[in-house]
Amino acid sequence: MASVTDQSTDLEAALADCANGDRDGLKRIFDQEAGRLVAVAQRILRRRELAEEVVQESFIRIWTHSHQYSPGRGSARGWIYSIVRNRALNLLRDGRREDLVGDDQVEALQDSDQLNEIMAAWHTLDRNSRLHECLNGLEEIRRRGILMAYVGGYTHGEIAGRLRLPLGTAKSWIRRGLSSLRECMA
Amino acid sequence: MKLEPNDIPAVADEYVLGLLEEAERAYVEAEIERNVALRRAVDEARERFLPLDTGLAPVDVSPSLWDAVSSRLPDRPKPSLPVAANPVSAANNNQGSGWRAAAISAMAASVVLAIGLTWSMTRSLDPLVIAVLMNEAGEVQAVVEDYGNDTANVRLLTDFAVPAHKTMQVWTLPSAEMGPMSLGVLDQARSAKLQGWSLPTPEDAQLYEITLEDEGGSPIQRPTGPILAKGFAKLAR
Repeated sequence: MASVTDQSTDLEAALADCANGDRDGLKRIFDQEAGRLVAVAQRILRRRELAEEVVQESFIRIWTHSHQYSPGRGSARGWIYSIVRNRALNLLRDGRREDLVGDDQVEALQDSDQLNEIMAAWHTLDRNSRLHECLNGLEEIRRRGILMAYVGGYTHGEIAGRLRLPLGTAKSWIRRGLSSLRECMA
Repeated sequence: MKLEPNDIPAVADEYVLGLLEEAERAYVEAEIERNVALRRAVDEARERFLPLDTGLAPVDVSPSLWDAVSSRLPDRPKPSLPVAANPVSAANNNQGSGWRAAAISAMAASVVLAIGLTWSMTRSLDPLVIAVLMNEAGEVQAVVEDYGNDTANVRLLTDFAVPAHKTMQVWTLPSAEMGPMSLGVLDQARSAKLQGWSLPTPEDAQLYEITLEDEGGSPIQRPTGPILAKGFAKLAR
């Protein structure tokens, strides 16, 4: 636990250095987090080069927006990850996912790989963590829906299709799952 | 779209999960700046799900990735050396010189603006707060000096391209309950002194922003157009 705290204090200090125009601050964030950030973006975008492109753009944004981070607004790590997540999701929503897959077979293959990876994200969570425990308490299908959205960047429509549910049903199940999760983690 | 307080936690979750439609997402991103409850809910949702990302094993990144980042970084002004960017001041680093440089730090002392002779008009009153407004790229665009007596000076520090039949409008957010209030419109996209509203005394960290509205200003007394620049006020000391 101590190392987690140290890490996040390091990131806060590094962001403050960025805001002061010190490039070394950005390099420290890069050295500590870039590998994981590329992995996060790649899990959403599937392709390494797109993931690296997103992380590259994100680091420039971290640099130019570092003054907007304040410790009162959640962890420095959460702030940094949200920048990468948002850029990856934007790229995906801009229709680039279609560029990634040619025919249905390839898509189905990639899909099942990705779904495995999505569920793996839950399994690799610390068993004693609140998030693991609370996700565990959800109905299977609601948990899947939530993980497909957060981990894989799927839209409501994509989730409904893969879970073979009508769109409205998928939406309301996810909404209720999120509500239970909030209560559980409160 | 109107956000009811009861809906905030659900909207924040769906925003963080990337489940909102594009228009809803844009709304949340604009609203987050003025709606404290929404901002807090988004921050909390982010923290709740973060372990799903931080538990991931790092991959080896391309060796060229850092070079690609560092070669594209714009320079940032350094607050510790506010006048170094100004060649005249740098050459004459004497406090008693003819230069009247005032350094204003905005947003946690991140951006410092050196203001020279161009802004040395005499005033009988000092502003209560000063907000340095920046665009999305973090570049300084304007400064608002709010005098707290229903008067504010708005200084534009860049050329804004205002399309035909559009107007720049200045807003502030005295409180979340009150919502954004108009300070007035800028005719012909020029610096101006705005007067005549009746608002609470401006406070530290109060939000100011300039949006692009239809000609004559927003018809609904709320910002509707894109944000051109925004920033949080600092008490003038």
